[in-house]
Amino acid sequence: MIASIQNKFKNFLSLKNVAIAFLVIYFAIFMVYPISKAFIGSFYDWNPLIDQFNFVGLNNFKEVIGDGLFWNSIKNTLLFTSFSVSFRLVIGLGLAMLLHSKLAKYKSFFNGMFYMPTITPLVAVSFVWMWMFNPQFGLINNIFHLDINWLNDPKYALPAITIMTIWKDFGYATVIFLAGLMGLPKDVYEAADVDGASGFKKFTNITLPLLKPTTIFILITSLISYLQAYVQILIMTEGGPGTSTYVISYLIFDEAFVKYNFGTASAMSMILFVIIAILTAIMFKVTEERKITP
Amino acid sequence: MKKLLGVIVTLFLLVGLSACSSDSKSSSTGGVKDEKTDKGLEEFGETIKYNPNKLVNNGDPIQIEYWTWNDTDPVIKMAKEYEKIYPNVKIKIVKHPWDDIWTKLPLALKGKNGPAMFGIHNSQHDILIPYLAPYDISASDLEADFTSVEPHIIDGKVYYTDLVINTGNIYYNKKLWAEAGLTEADIPKTWDQFREVAKKLTKFKDGKLVQAGFNYNGGGGYDAIWQGMNYQQGELMFKDNGKTVNYDNEVTKKTTKFLVDLYEVDKVGSKDFGDDSTMSFGNGQTAMVYKWGWMKGELATKYPDIEYGVFPTPTPTEEIPFAYDRYNGESTPGINKNQSKEQQAVAQDFLKYLLANDQYSKEAAFTYASFPTKKSLANDEEILSDPLLKILAPRIERLIWPGPFPATIETTSKQVIENILYNGQDMNTAIKDGQEKMESDMKDALFTSLENKYQFFNEAN
Repeated sequence: MIASIQNKFKNFLSLKNVAIAFLVIYFAIFMVYPISKAFIGSFYDWNPLIDQFNFVGLNNFKEVIGDGLFWNSIKNTLLFTSFSVSFRLVIGLGLAMLLHSKLAKYKSFFNGMFYMPTITPLVAVSFVWMWMFNPQFGLINNIFHLDINWLNDPKYALPAITIMTIWKDFGYATVIFLAGLMGLPKDVYEAADVDGASGFKKFTNITLPLLKPTTIFILITSLISYLQAYVQILIMTEGGPGTSTYVISYLIFDEAFVKYNFGTASAMSMILFVIIAILTAIMFKVTEERKITP
Repeated sequence: MKKLLGVIVTLFLLVGLSACSSDSKSSSTGGVKDEKTDKGLEEFGETIKYNPNKLVNNGDPIQIEYWTWNDTDPVIKMAKEYEKIYPNVKIKIVKHPWDDIWTKLPLALKGKNGPAMFGIHNSQHDILIPYLAPYDISASDLEADFTSVEPHIIDGKVYYTDLVINTGNIYYNKKLWAEAGLTEADIPKTWDQFREVAKKLTKFKDGKLVQAGFNYNGGGGYDAIWQGMNYQQGELMFKDNGKTVNYDNEVTKKTTKFLVDLYEVDKVGSKDFGDDSTMSFGNGQTAMVYKWGWMKGELATKYPDIEYGVFPTPTPTEEIPFAYDRYNGESTPGINKNQSKEQQAVAQDFLKYLLANDQYSKEAAFTYASFPTKKSLANDEEILSDPLLKILAPRIERLIWPGPFPATIETTSKQVIENILYNGQDMNTAIKDGQEKMESDMKDALFTSLENKYQFFNEAN
């Protein structure tokens, strides 16, 4: 009996169980608790800095849904996300195909070069690009002989931020796609060569379908990341000019950490959570394999 | 072996997690034991007097923490002087960046291990006041020694007050001024004169603006200047109830039109001429900017080669206006009411040392380029020899303090001018939208205007 208990105790304290336990504790502390707290807080007039926590029911949600700035931020977020994700995928795949081809030389070097912006801190990159976009001494205007006030012109401010984001992140997609391409079976391409398939046909009928899991992975992770982007807005425009570059995460940051309206910010976060969940579900649905029925 | 590895990993992670916890508990161990009551020093101060010939904390070692966001906080220097007098006391200075301190500080003050003393900015009044201990010094004694104490008295007690006060002025580039053939006699007194001077200081090359006569782009531009210009025309910032902002009115429209016309009609500057008027001035591309006292430190640190002068903000006419501008104060430190009695006692004593000491106020005056509220320094030669402080002195009585109003008044007004200049929004609509946003943001604010405490309040519109 005692030996049995001792054995069970030994199994319990195995490395596997200890590691899993810490993961569970970590997620419970740093994810489950804050998310639950935010969910509950969304029904309160909440400022934790002065212990203000007064129940207001759905008032925060009503205010948020009735706020024009919120919907404008959603619109900006969707525009920013769709362009950033699309270009990231296209440029990433294009460069990966180039690196994978027999024509490319110094592949490792270029692979490293393309990935470098990805590992550079976003804050530093945002500052550098902010200076590059400066209308008086910025590199962009000087090189291309332009006279655009990039970050203060509502026509160009969000596109400028999008360009910076694409530049920073395309390398990640390149590396992932390259790994995916390297893992594709060669015999399929050999069979296609025997059948006389053109390069375009091979790309559309073999490469793209086989890369689908990789593409979905990059698509979903990019979507989740860009829907929550706010650092570049915070540094480059602070939501300006006016409120024309407000995105939803920046609005949440502004509401919570500038105005100390944690309840309203939590309500916005919950709405954002639902939007991300719906979009992710749609993505999975659209990209799932069609089941072949006999 | 696996079990042993599991235990080691467990311990490692536990140690790692515990290392993440903050260890801000102020140690009771400070310096050495102090047994010398008679320090051989003289008592100093006016109404608030400080006699250093005593023991603090019964001479037992003690350490308190002082939190600040400011590397040049004059408390830091004074703390070292205090430690020399009382070797048993250690004042540990903890610096946090401005963007971090206003979340970290209130969270620290909620517990038992927060700093005993900390720097205050009155814009953060609402989140700090629940944690402040009242000063042991009476309100009447403070009023005897300092000006502008009255707005800070809450139920007969003072939790902090203004140490130095600050307002906006016009900084001008002396070199560009001379190149335009201007002298000190051309320093404008009215806004109409200012416009003409700005035109003379503006330069174009091939149709492109290369030197702005006046630049208010970026933070601390329109969002600061409209307040002063409104006050000059007798318009208060808050309505009669003291809670509703008074932004959407004819005076604001007139003020905003004047500033927009400077760019679009008079062409003395441009919305596209950089987005940071401070940087533009520092780089010698802008001849005049409206800035507050912090500009002095900014120029000294980042643009030491700029030769600049300062003159008072112009007014609508040469007659004395309702108020020249609003002022804001750099505050005296706060004391944490949740700290131990011993810690609070040391903090209160250090505070008294600071407030009785002219040197503290002087250090602050020069550091912040702001006029000291200490009455004993009102005619101090060293203070009045500073060109910026010399300009402030005659205007001190005609500066109004609306109170520590919420940040939305400035952030929203900045968005308003951007909507007008960059987004092409109609001015009246932009101002109306701005009013609505400010009201919405302030609906739960605890703020009440202190404009009615201004001595010339009855002269308002």
